[in-house]
Amino acid sequence: MIQITDEILNKYLDGELSVEEVKQVESALRNSDELRRKFNALKLVHTNLFTITEDEVSDSFTEKLMKQIVKKSTAPKQQKYFIASVVTFITLLCLVIFGFSISAMISATSSSAGNSQSVLDSVSGLSEGLVRMLQQLFSGTGLSIIGSFFSIIVLISGYFFFEMQKRTKANLSNGQRL
Amino acid sequence: MSNLAMKNLSDDEIIRSVLKGNSADFIFLVDRYKNKAFSMLKRMLKSTEDAEEVLQDCFMKAYNNLKTFKFESKFSTWFYRIVYNSALTKLSSQKRRIETEMTSVEDHFNLESEYNSAEIEKKDVSELIHVTISKLPERYSAIITMFYLNEMTIDEISEAMGLTISNVKVMLHRSRNALRDLVLKTKLAEEIL
Repeated sequence: MIQITDEILNKYLDGELSVEEVKQVESALRNSDELRRKFNALKLVHTNLFTITEDEVSDSFTEKLMKQIVKKSTAPKQQKYFIASVVTFITLLCLVIFGFSISAMISATSSSAGNSQSVLDSVSGLSEGLVRMLQQLFSGTGLSIIGSFFSIIVLISGYFFFEMQKRTKANLSNGQRL
Repeated sequence: MSNLAMKNLSDDEIIRSVLKGNSADFIFLVDRYKNKAFSMLKRMLKSTEDAEEVLQDCFMKAYNNLKTFKFESKFSTWFYRIVYNSALTKLSSQKRRIETEMTSVEDHFNLESEYNSAEIEKKDVSELIHVTISKLPERYSAIITMFYLNEMTIDEISEAMGLTISNVKVMLHRSRNALRDLVLKTKLAEEIL
């Protein structure tokens, strides 16, 4: 015979007892008014707990939250676009400079060389021209112009990048305060 | 996809859509869980403002960590774990008593001390039960809300709270017994039981 404790009554309510145990509990409930009273009260609590209703968040809750989420998801995209555009710009600039150098060298070598010149001569002529062009670019005034130009680009990019980081941080901390 | 169609999607389908870049679809998960999670937080934190603030934080955490969701358990279990842990963190920051650290499952609590006997006698049973859930210690009120309101299984509750199944059962039974003892003291109970 099992002892009918509060634990057993709870298990009986949840249908967690074996057939034999259920029989013993039901028999005990039939024979004891006090036990029946306790069990009925427990059942009343159990039934009433199923009627708990949801509390509702404020009307503006979802709107505020979604604003934060949209901000959060757009900030990294903006950063990616910015970095991609800076990289593209620099690449394009390098390509233009390189293309311009090559075309300048080709026109210089083709005007000085005759049709009878061999392929080897034209390649060596091209490389000599390239070296000359690079020497001109990276010496004296050419070097300072290129250096200044890239420094300005780096400074501008750095400024925008720093501002973007600041804005993202501010958005996140605003979000946490909400 | 229309809003109606999105509302009928499962949690996993909505998550996949959000992960594909449709961050606005997260609203369907928010609408699905906001009130249930809020009810749990309100009962644990005993404050509407704190509950709403923590809930906002929980949804942000869920959104930021959605990539780590493994689709092995239910989203609801995963999300309620965030909610439960965030509530404990909030309580900790308020320097309030945290049962997880300070008490064991063996500890007792006395709901009757929350009311005087005359007050209990007069109360309607249903109202008394609903009001008293908030007076239960945090973990107990969380279990009651998850089991009865959110209709979670004992296994899911144990996963969400990081407790063993037997501990969850013990705590659920103890909460019911405490409420039952209160109910037995009401006048109405004398008549109907």
